[in-house]
Amino acid sequence: MIWLEGVSCQRNGALVLDMVTLGVARSELIVVEGTAGSGKSTLLALAAAARMPDRGAVWFAGRNTTTLQRASLPFVRRNIGFCTADPLLLPDDTVLANVILALAVRGESPARAEQLAREALDLVRASELENRVVSSLSVGQRRLVALARAVAGPPPLVVADEPAAGVGDEARAIVTYALTAARDAGSAVLAATADSALADQLVSHGGRRIHLDQGRIAGAPAIGLVPALTPDPLPLGTFQPRVITLEVDDAAVGDLPPATRGPS
Amino acid sequence: MKIVWLARHVRGQAHAHRWLVLAAFAAFALVAMVVGGARLGARTMARWGAFVGQNVHVIVYLDDGVDQARARDFAELLRRVPTVAQVSIVEPDAALARLSTSAAALGVDGKTLDGLESAYFPRSLELSLTPAADLSERASDLAKRLRPVPGVVQVDAMGSGLARLAVWVKLGRRLGVGVLAALALVTVGLLIAVFLRSRGAGARRAAVLVQLGETDAGIRLPASLWMATAAAAGAAVGGLTLALSWQPLIGRLERTLGITANAPFPSLDRAEVSAGMAMVLLVGLAMGYFATPLPRIHDGA
Repeated sequence: MIWLEGVSCQRNGALVLDMVTLGVARSELIVVEGTAGSGKSTLLALAAAARMPDRGAVWFAGRNTTTLQRASLPFVRRNIGFCTADPLLLPDDTVLANVILALAVRGESPARAEQLAREALDLVRASELENRVVSSLSVGQRRLVALARAVAGPPPLVVADEPAAGVGDEARAIVTYALTAARDAGSAVLAATADSALADQLVSHGGRRIHLDQGRIAGAPAIGLVPALTPDPLPLGTFQPRVITLEVDDAAVGDLPPATRGPS
Repeated sequence: MKIVWLARHVRGQAHAHRWLVLAAFAAFALVAMVVGGARLGARTMARWGAFVGQNVHVIVYLDDGVDQARARDFAELLRRVPTVAQVSIVEPDAALARLSTSAAALGVDGKTLDGLESAYFPRSLELSLTPAADLSERASDLAKRLRPVPGVVQVDAMGSGLARLAVWVKLGRRLGVGVLAALALVTVGLLIAVFLRSRGAGARRAAVLVQLGETDAGIRLPASLWMATAAAAGAAVGGLTLALSWQPLIGRLERTLGITANAPFPSLDRAEVSAGMAMVLLVGLAMGYFATPLPRIHDGA
């Protein structure tokens, strides 16, 4: 579903990501673990098409998003449920309205959007908050609402940056449950955390863990994980570059505009 | 964006920013009143100017024995006087008609004039003098010279009264321009405040929608629509208020000042109203559009 190919990013002249290659297939959950400043958030921003790399390419459902016109990027983003470390919500709107907004952008009908939004809130055990205004919520509750918005649908790709930061054990379990549920529903899930307890929980539920250290995937000099791109997942470090075809599910991706296909 | 969502977003945003909607409504109502008022004011001034500019500085009332032919000869003689610009003969019928019109304009009961006949009015000559700084003195001087002329019953030098009225009209024009300028300043200030507040309120929503994958047009359209709707509604109410209040207000003012202008009452025609509404809609759409700042995505070096 998402394939980051040798991506590099700089911030204020410092290299934040250095030639990272990473792929996440449908029904796969990858948790990126790393310390603060290791480049996790930048990596996830690239995956969510919220930022473009300085070098390399990001393929989403067979389209190279780095070569798409700026006007086409929204059609990529609406297929990605992105939960940032600092949840970006509308403070004056209700919880339900915030979750519905993502589904409205994807073109769901109002009735269907409301139903899916309620299901997503139920998934993160936040149903009782649906009529609350976001500005009245605690930081932890806002994270859960942002996560519900990210998994509502669910979209083809869920990207969650520090989804359990500052929440308790119970909320951590809810986050794990929501992300694995999205994965089980067919989404590709990419999560990043510095919280090893959350990473352990996600791995114990079938997630794959990779470590990001100073902008590089630990143990992978140039190429990261691409487990679902081949019939049999390859062990870390044994991946041999070859001609591959990304699995493309146009029906799931929705109204993405025509663009250059991925490697074939 | 689907129409149903667009309608919901417009309604939702208008509800969320209802004070801004009200401010935009008030601002555009003021815009309509200031712009419309300026146009109507200019036309009212022209109407009053026409009244003042009838330029009748001296009226010569002729004896009953002076017939039309002698009156024409007399007028021809007066036209040759260097300071006289124009001479017109007012027949008794025309004089009675003017009196009736003036009386009606001043609200005098029509029955008061019922008994009057045109024969009661003398034939008269209305003299306009060439423009000069000492107009009233020249009018008085000419009147003094005309009084002993045979066939002249009475001579009225009106220069001083008209000069006074002209001064009042000029003062009224200056006051009107001042009031309009002050209102225009308030309006512009209100519009800028509405724009900046809308921009602040729209920034976070735009950031959220960009993250969710909304297109630029989809992000900006709801704000454009609610702003344009508020602008059109405000302008319509402002224009209607002006249309309903202008004529009675000016009519009362004219009665107070004793102005009996013959030109029709000024009003805004359909083309002007349509052009104004179209302009207001465009400005509203543009204000909403530019009041929604889009966050820039970092697209690499």
